[in-house]
Amino acid sequence: MSLGVAVAALTRASLLTTMRYRASFVGEAVMAVAWAAWTAAPLFVVFDQAPTLAGWTAEEALAVIGFFIIAQGALEALVDPNLRAVVEQVRQGTFDFVLLKPLDAQLYVSLHRTEPIKLVHCLVGLAIVAHSARAIDAGAVELASAALLMLAGLTLLHSLWTVVVSSAFFFVKVDNLSWLIRAGLDAGRWPVSLYRGVVRFVLTFVLPIGLVTTYPALALRGELKPSTGLGALVISVLFGMLARVAWIRSLRRYSSASS
Amino acid sequence: MIQVNALSKVYPVPKRGEGLWGSLRSIFSREVEEVRAVADLSFSIQAGERVGFLGPNGAGKTTTLKMLSGLLVPTSGDRVVAGFDPSKRDPAFLRRITLVMGQKQQLLWDLPPIETFALNRALFGLEEAEAKRTQEELIELLELGPLLTRPVRNLSLGERMKCELAAALLHRPDVLFLDEPTIGLDVRAQVAVRRFIAEWNERSGATVLLTSHYMADIAALCPRVIVIAGGALRYDGPLKDLAERYGGGRKVIVRTRDEAPEQLGPFVREDGALVARLPSAEVTAAVDFALRQVAVADLSIEEPPLEDVLSKLFAERT
Repeated sequence: MSLGVAVAALTRASLLTTMRYRASFVGEAVMAVAWAAWTAAPLFVVFDQAPTLAGWTAEEALAVIGFFIIAQGALEALVDPNLRAVVEQVRQGTFDFVLLKPLDAQLYVSLHRTEPIKLVHCLVGLAIVAHSARAIDAGAVELASAALLMLAGLTLLHSLWTVVVSSAFFFVKVDNLSWLIRAGLDAGRWPVSLYRGVVRFVLTFVLPIGLVTTYPALALRGELKPSTGLGALVISVLFGMLARVAWIRSLRRYSSASS
Repeated sequence: MIQVNALSKVYPVPKRGEGLWGSLRSIFSREVEEVRAVADLSFSIQAGERVGFLGPNGAGKTTTLKMLSGLLVPTSGDRVVAGFDPSKRDPAFLRRITLVMGQKQQLLWDLPPIETFALNRALFGLEEAEAKRTQEELIELLELGPLLTRPVRNLSLGERMKCELAAALLHRPDVLFLDEPTIGLDVRAQVAVRRFIAEWNERSGATVLLTSHYMADIAALCPRVIVIAGGALRYDGPLKDLAERYGGGRKVIVRTRDEAPEQLGPFVREDGALVARLPSAEVTAAVDFALRQVAVADLSIEEPPLEDVLSKLFAERT
């Protein structure tokens, strides 16, 4: 099918572009492990002082970190390079060429610049989650619902990213917004139930990073109510639709840089 | 193939104050100025025509091309290109047009051009065997053979433009919008690009709308020109009539064996020769007259330089 061919060709071109840096898989893997250790370090400091934190044991909180690392890996591999490329294209006006292709522009910009080597981070994240799942003895249902929620979370991240890119058509320079999302995601390395008041509300509903990291971990513990799980899925679908609308509206606003 | 009716485009442009204080003020009270890039423009182009689209910088040429290729939404007016409304960006429409911009490039910077070709073949969903044939044809016509496997960043400007043209034509579009495809190129590369455009137009029967500031491009390629200035239409017709109407006519220069008189019929003395500027229809009679009246040593007839014709036209009132 021609859509499949187009997606494969975009992935191929972006792989070839990455490969010119002779990125080493081993080097990236070492970095990923070191980064994961650095990310998890505060956790051990805290749990050294107390056996549980807002109802989370160290092993359970480690799952949150695992999902956090997966999300961050996905962000660095698939989302961030694309974002930087689109912002640059809008600024220079070469985004015109994207719009001249008979392929959905949102699909195009989601795929045209990726750094697949960074997916190694996701593998490390998955290993951490697997370790945590064994320690808390998660069953098949828990694992499956955790996987489903993780996918919903990643979809949500992608939607947030699409909104950021859409705003590039209005403000041109949006690198700062992407940093805001990163800072938000950073808050997601801790279970959302640790936060109170406004912050918790924001992390659950406005910038639903909790959905990306905490909810899958809750599902792994078997403590996610079906209604909450369903709500999370609905939120991610809603964000997907919102992103699509934002994208289409901003395309109409696009006025490319003058010749 | 292209129908444009009362097309207008107005850009809102934020007004910025001068200096630091002005910049600060414009953060709080944003004044927006309306800039009319294209005003009430109408024309139509038949299939297979090669038309030059001329105008000074900022005349609205690029804006018009972008509206015709679906990149910009007009403020008012309609246009139909290849039977489509460009604003909808229907994939079937995008498969029938192409836009080449001399100042922007679609080639993947770090990869050899052949990779951009492969990507475009896939993105346009082209049938592999036929697309490969077109690609071979373009490679041969543009003499791209030795360039195909070198990273784009290592190619010269002229080489890059030839590759851009190939990448933009793989899907054999019916309408070619070419926005200054020869800008910045050396004379040899300009000639190569020019020859290619003419050849491709002959072969494929595609319609060509070309902007260029190099009059040699226009003279070599476009029997018809559309001139705009300040976003409005100034002239639409054959290139040769443009010179006739705005060039002050053809220049007849007669060098005489003896000293030339101060004035003789339509001629006056300039730098020791007799010179007359006349409409085409009167040239024969003037030459005839000169041959009978004086002993002619040399006689020449010059077309007014296209650059002069255009600057006269651009300078006219809006």
